[in-house]
Amino acid sequence: MTGHSESASGRCATVVTEVSKNDLAPIALFPGALTVQPMPTLTDLVDSGAIVKIDVDLAPRDQPLRLLYGTPQFVAWLRDVLDGAQPSRQLGHTSITEQLDDLFYSFLSGEQLNFTKQFRVVRAEENAVWELKTPDVRIFGWFVAKDCFVAVFGNWADTIKDHDLYRGYRIAIRRLRRELGVDATLCVKGVAPDDVLSV
Amino acid sequence: MTFFRFDIDARSRMAGRFIGRVRRELLKTIKEEKRGGLTQQELARRLETRRSDINRQLSGEAEITLRSLADLAWALDREVTVELRRADGVAGQNIAPATSTIGYQPVRIIAPRIIAPKTSNG
Repeated sequence: MTGHSESASGRCATVVTEVSKNDLAPIALFPGALTVQPMPTLTDLVDSGAIVKIDVDLAPRDQPLRLLYGTPQFVAWLRDVLDGAQPSRQLGHTSITEQLDDLFYSFLSGEQLNFTKQFRVVRAEENAVWELKTPDVRIFGWFVAKDCFVAVFGNWADTIKDHDLYRGYRIAIRRLRRELGVDATLCVKGVAPDDVLSV
Repeated sequence: MTFFRFDIDARSRMAGRFIGRVRRELLKTIKEEKRGGLTQQELARRLETRRSDINRQLSGEAEITLRSLADLAWALDREVTVELRRADGVAGQNIAPATSTIGYQPVRIIAPRIIAPKTSNG
């Protein structure tokens, strides 16, 4: 039996017990059979270094209306981009860093993003993986909550298309979420734009 | 590391965000007109150009010149407004950065800006 319970500290936990003959019996009667795995909160993920908050400078009149996080691996990729990494064939007429800054800015400042042109769901499924887009860059991750995205992989658009990396990234992100134990609590399940963005 | 600031120089930031904003505004307008029945094919016909050319401009793969912006606005029955506004500092707003941290690299000055304090007694 697997269920969710509210602990004294107000955090969710997955309670796993062995299936007994009387499945309705209070779980407190079988303390030896219990394994409690606390479900991490967003703060836990940040504190453990699993994800890092990503910022850009906002304009004087802007306020951050959304949140953006990235895995250390994704942040390392961003550093490579800032250091001048380039795709073999650039498609966009603005630079890669300009494209990314504009994408992050429009996301964080709460601008209305264009569905399919700037973001889209990779595949319509429960706990979907989402993609943020610029002409030359694709970013894969998931929404831990509405208006709160965790970026896991970044790569050049042409590389992803040439090598058909969508499936691989989708599977890797699902695996990462399982390892972090966030599938049940920190993952938006809907696949419509309104499910993940409120503006 | 508690956060990572994706920091590019102020000039590139202004260019990238301005171009992006123009493109998003066009996409939003086209989406609105689509509900009224306007297709991209019809838009291309009005502008006597190819649909793929318009697509490349809207996706950011081709530059949108002032001429093509005006043409698109005309085809969408819209007016373009332009305003160059002084970026003034007002209490309660974000303070525009004067330095760039550029991730892990040494801090460097990219756009020092001095705003003269306003005096209340003239």
